[in-house]
Amino acid sequence: MKPELEPNIQSESPNTSNNKFISWFKQKWSNDPLFSILIALIIMVILQTLTLGFDYPSFGEWFQAWTNNWINILRNNAAIGIVALGMTFVIMTGGIDLSVGSTLVITGAFAMYLLDTGAQGILGGIGITGVPAIILTIILVMGFGYLLGSIIGVSITKGMVPPFIATLGAMMIFRSVTQHFTQGYNTSVPVEFLQISSFKIGNLMIMPIIYWAIIAMILYYVSKKTIFGRQIIAVGSNEKAAKLSGVNVNRVKLRVYGLMGLLVSIAAIIQVSRIGSMDFSNAGRGMEMDAIAAAVVGGTNMLGGRGFILGTVYGMLIIAVMNNLLNLFGVPPFLREAFKGVIVIVAVLLQRKEKSA
Amino acid sequence: MKIEMKNIRKSFGSNDVLKDVSFSLEGGEICALLGENGAGKSTLMNILGGVIPMDKGAILVDGEEVDFPTPVQSMEAGIAFIHQELNLINDLPIYENMFLGREIRKKRGSLDLKQMYDKTKEIFEQMNIDLDPGKMVGDLDASYKQIVEICRAMMTNASIIIMDEPTTSLTDTEIERVFAMMKTLKEHNVGIIFISHKLNEVMEICDKYVVLRDGNLVSEGYVTDVTKRDLASFMVGFDVRTESLRRTKDMAEVGKEILRVEGLSDNKHFKDISFTIHEGEIVGVTGLLGDGRSELFLSIFGANPFEQGKIYLEGKEVINKSTYDSINKGIAYLPRNRKENAIIKDMDIFENASIVTWPIFAKRGVINTSKHKQLFEKQRASLRIKMGDMTDSITSLSGGNQQKVVLSKWLSANPKVLILDNPTQGVDVGAKEEIYDTILKLADEGIAVIVLSSEAQEIIRVCDRALVMYHGVIQGEVEGDLMNEQTIMSLATGGELGDEKGVYQK
Repeated sequence: MKPELEPNIQSESPNTSNNKFISWFKQKWSNDPLFSILIALIIMVILQTLTLGFDYPSFGEWFQAWTNNWINILRNNAAIGIVALGMTFVIMTGGIDLSVGSTLVITGAFAMYLLDTGAQGILGGIGITGVPAIILTIILVMGFGYLLGSIIGVSITKGMVPPFIATLGAMMIFRSVTQHFTQGYNTSVPVEFLQISSFKIGNLMIMPIIYWAIIAMILYYVSKKTIFGRQIIAVGSNEKAAKLSGVNVNRVKLRVYGLMGLLVSIAAIIQVSRIGSMDFSNAGRGMEMDAIAAAVVGGTNMLGGRGFILGTVYGMLIIAVMNNLLNLFGVPPFLREAFKGVIVIVAVLLQRKEKSA
Repeated sequence: MKIEMKNIRKSFGSNDVLKDVSFSLEGGEICALLGENGAGKSTLMNILGGVIPMDKGAILVDGEEVDFPTPVQSMEAGIAFIHQELNLINDLPIYENMFLGREIRKKRGSLDLKQMYDKTKEIFEQMNIDLDPGKMVGDLDASYKQIVEICRAMMTNASIIIMDEPTTSLTDTEIERVFAMMKTLKEHNVGIIFISHKLNEVMEICDKYVVLRDGNLVSEGYVTDVTKRDLASFMVGFDVRTESLRRTKDMAEVGKEILRVEGLSDNKHFKDISFTIHEGEIVGVTGLLGDGRSELFLSIFGANPFEQGKIYLEGKEVINKSTYDSINKGIAYLPRNRKENAIIKDMDIFENASIVTWPIFAKRGVINTSKHKQLFEKQRASLRIKMGDMTDSITSLSGGNQQKVVLSKWLSANPKVLILDNPTQGVDVGAKEEIYDTILKLADEGIAVIVLSSEAQEIIRVCDRALVMYHGVIQGEVEGDLMNEQTIMSLATGGELGDEKGVYQK
């Protein structure tokens, strides 16, 4: 059985460039799963540009405003964008991670305890200060994140606890523990640490965006070219067949949850270094839903198997631009979630249509 | 009640499944319906159960012609079909299962549990069954589940019950329990059609028998007039063994030992299995449903655990902790049920063909795509895989070509032992022959090939010798002239090898 080719539209009215474009578009639309997402993103960007308006004295000033708006959007979403990348892998294995928001605060709190310049600071207490303290903190926090993710992974693989339950439990435990141990605790993070997020390149505060971009590129490569990346698809698509093909299913899952924890800890470092503190009772609340939404809008199949790192980046951008748009339109904050919900459902509807076509 | 099926014909496309079959049964009779896989048993019963329509013929109940367009009409006429996969819900108690879909309700619409419980109890007493109707179905063993299903059929006043291989997953004591139930039913003047492969059971419980072969009714009569051996030969016919692919090979040519298994048990699916397989041999393993052969080889492959026993590869004991371990040591396993166990539909043809060997050629975890392309091109040419682009979806291929892709991933791993579980399942005739040719070629190259199959004909055509399994044990080993369908069938139904010698040896 050969897959039938799309009917050739060119034959009806030959050689007009317009029709060539339409047939190319149709072909892309039905064959490239990321194409419709990209189109949606482009439409959002055009809308956003129009809404921002052209009411500026010069092109230079308009461009300045436009760029600034974009940098704001990207920077505000970098941390969650990184978490969404990890969530993509988790969902591709057929799992889910509800604990990301709580992992964010527990790793964030850990970072702040390590760095605190006051009496409670752990590293300061043993005489490590300055740049070495910052580097050590980054390593320890990332290690902690990886460890927490791995613990969740072990309970899912060895303990055979369903991912939803394991991460739901972890979500409650991590935040509750963090809140208990940080009661009445005011930290002051060293100023140098804030440079991680606020260091300016030229005149632009874009470090979080750069981290996001680098991580996205690395994970894109991992998902396309490495055994680990391809085995994720195999595990999520048909776990039994993967096992019978020599894939160590448990190891793949363990690594995916470990990676998830690691990425969340990076997000925590970005968050803490952006603001200098963290609100342990509210930071990261709903983060899991935003990350899942970004992955789903980006074409990841909730049942596992199919998923795209690039799609998740698009998905995150669509949600981010839409938030910005609603802001520009002056839509009341409580209504914004509704729009997000609509976007998620429409995105999935679009993907269903492609499948049946 | 008496049912008659007259001159039933049924074909699927150009494939004539039933060719003018007539069959009748009266209340109080137990009739065995026998035949190999594909003989037409299930089709005949599905027609009686209203599951599929017949092309020609008539069904008569007590002499009156009836029509069963759907299973509902068949049930209303008093025919109950008890399928191999039981239709019970484990998380509900017995009495609720008994009334599933026909619940007794109180006036306000809530369930009348009390009445359902009492009615169930009543039926159980009638049938001499000592069972608490309040028990959860999930807590029952397989035989009681069968009994619950039969009682449910009785509650709808069924007077004919079709039982499709009811004993395959049962232990001996459980089988006795079901047989006792069947005898009670018989006393209540219920007719039973008993589909089974196990001739011992047929001889024990049935009054009459009917044998189908290739859509024809080849023999019928009273069980007391025939022997097991007669039944086995009716089932396979005598006109077998055409164009055998078996190689003429004498034992002296057999190479060194590759795989030896000693006393392997998982205490569940297989017990005390020992055998040895040599370089370049093709060994068949066959049996009927529930013989444990797939489970046995999944354990040897490292996919399932086992309790006792040892596995030796080239004389050295190996402990395979995982499938990956086994692959590294040179064991390959092509599973049965391709769609469920082998095809990864979110990956393209090329990836499906290379997943096994990724770790072998990778550098620092990065897949060596060019090496895999090279390997796949080689396999594609030698297996003659017909396909479009390598990046097309695996589901765009026909069954036979999908199977070849799955086979190619194992051949790229250069195995010493190749285990093929139902390798020609869902594969068209042409691809089937090509897979047989490949098996022969691989054996000539020195690979020890193990073919698991439920089709005795397949085993006879390609294998040098065969192990026949029955209820988790190797019932016998056959080779040469002894490797014929009668002997295999007899062993697979629990017979002894000694019974056969001298009778069918030519």
